[in-house]
Amino acid sequence: MSQLENKTFDQKITRRDLIKVFGATAVAGTGIFGASSKAFAKNAQHVVVLGGGVGGSTFAKYLRFADPDVKITIIEQYPEYITCLRSNDVIVGMHTLDELTFNLDTIKSKYNVNVVIDKVIGADYDKKTVRTEKGETFSYDKLVVSPGIDFKFEDYEGYDAEMAEGKFPHAYKAGPQTLELRRQLLAVPKGGTAIIAPPQNPFRCPPGPYERASFFAEHFKKHNPTAKLIVLDPKDRFTKDGPFKKAWERLYGYKTDNALIEWVSGSDGGRVVRLDAENMMVETDGGDYKADLINIIPNQRAGVLAQKIGLTNDSGWCPIERNTMESSLHKDVYVLGDSSIADAMPKSGYSANSQAKVCARAVADTLKGEQPGTAIYSNVCYSLAGENYGVSIAAIYEVRDGLIQPKGESAGVSPITDKVTQPILEAVYQKNWQREFVKDVFS
Amino acid sequence: MKLQTIFASALAFAFIQPAAAEGQNPIASGSAMAWQCAPCHGTNGQEFLEAMPPLAGMPAKQFTEAMIAYREGTRPAIIMDRVARGFNDAEIEAMAVWFEKQPVKQWENTSLTESQNAQKANSTGGQK
Repeated sequence: MSQLENKTFDQKITRRDLIKVFGATAVAGTGIFGASSKAFAKNAQHVVVLGGGVGGSTFAKYLRFADPDVKITIIEQYPEYITCLRSNDVIVGMHTLDELTFNLDTIKSKYNVNVVIDKVIGADYDKKTVRTEKGETFSYDKLVVSPGIDFKFEDYEGYDAEMAEGKFPHAYKAGPQTLELRRQLLAVPKGGTAIIAPPQNPFRCPPGPYERASFFAEHFKKHNPTAKLIVLDPKDRFTKDGPFKKAWERLYGYKTDNALIEWVSGSDGGRVVRLDAENMMVETDGGDYKADLINIIPNQRAGVLAQKIGLTNDSGWCPIERNTMESSLHKDVYVLGDSSIADAMPKSGYSANSQAKVCARAVADTLKGEQPGTAIYSNVCYSLAGENYGVSIAAIYEVRDGLIQPKGESAGVSPITDKVTQPILEAVYQKNWQREFVKDVFS
Repeated sequence: MKLQTIFASALAFAFIQPAAAEGQNPIASGSAMAWQCAPCHGTNGQEFLEAMPPLAGMPAKQFTEAMIAYREGTRPAIIMDRVARGFNDAEIEAMAVWFEKQPVKQWENTSLTESQNAQKANSTGGQK
């Protein structure tokens, strides 16, 4: 009778509860003692989620809200996930990597989601199955893919993935590269030079490179005031450039002789075309720059898995139906987050979370044979221009004329005012946001 | 059917169907909109320990008045003015009604069953 001592049965469970949670077939078929937290009706519809990051984890949680009965399986390559968001903090010691490391334990236990740690290597859209590295095959009714980004090292002569793991980390996926970049920042000699080279659009976390630049400048201000950061940009504009540059003026002497930060636009030759690793030099459209630290954040495309299973188009990203996030290329397959082409929405963690919720409703509705409701998306990006100086961009989005566009007059960046409360409170909100966001995603 | 009756029912229909001027989407459901608030205000608005105010259990009137004031620029804001400008009155009302019914407790202390019951507290304002 050991099963009776099992925690599952410590609570009072009525047959009705079981039917509600697991579906009538499961209860009828197995009898009450056969039911476990993993039991689903044999004929339960199955939604398979590839990727347990921000998009995949949010999706699974909110699909459970929308549908108590559907069987949900997440297949994720790694047992732990380090959020890219706030990983700039790790470079300057405001957060540790451990504090940004999450797992799917709560998603599994609280939301009754199967979690499989394995790597998907192929999909058969006719048979509606995916195959994994360990040789398993999973059948799905709906497949949801949230594969993140991949880097286009080929856009830079002399730079490759292996060098990124070594002396030239891009640190644009959080992990060991983040720690290596921290080590290098601390090692910049007195009066030395650091270079950050942001990518061309579109890319993950549009304010990320400029927040990182701000942190480097702040670090130099505190610890190495004769050092200098040069941002070599292929673009002439970047997100929140108004409030960012105002902050740089206020905090780091931007545009003065003693500036800790210099920004070279694409028109001024800022695009990096080559890395000369041996001489610690980069070549740009406007000439060569020597430095003690070189941080190239490469141009990007949809995650490797999306490419491998045929979800990308010529742009390198994944086209989707705007109301549901369903792939425009394969039916019953959905693409979330950075990999998707979501028009006005930035490739941010917030966007992935927002899209996951829209998609969860659409999937639940479609499985019930209903028409999905009106889609509504949102994004807020809080960034720090200094430890206590926040800047933000926010928008609500709707689908209009076949595109995801800002709704009403909602789109806007932080106003530039003389009120000190604005940037200070935005910095407070940024920190609050990070704590609440990861809870909404992983618990 | 008398012409008068047809006219009357058409009129009635116009009132039950609050949505959409021509070319606009029907409004999203209250919960679909409310879910979008979670990254800052907690899942289902159930975050009571941070600087951003919790929305779960907030009286609908208070929510509605605050959002409209943010939107119209009559209430000082850091970010909520920009967010509120994305919503019309009917949408704000739909979210308000939904949030009012959510449990007044931290999300992490709320069971799935408890939440699923609250999830059914759909507003009357939207579809689904």
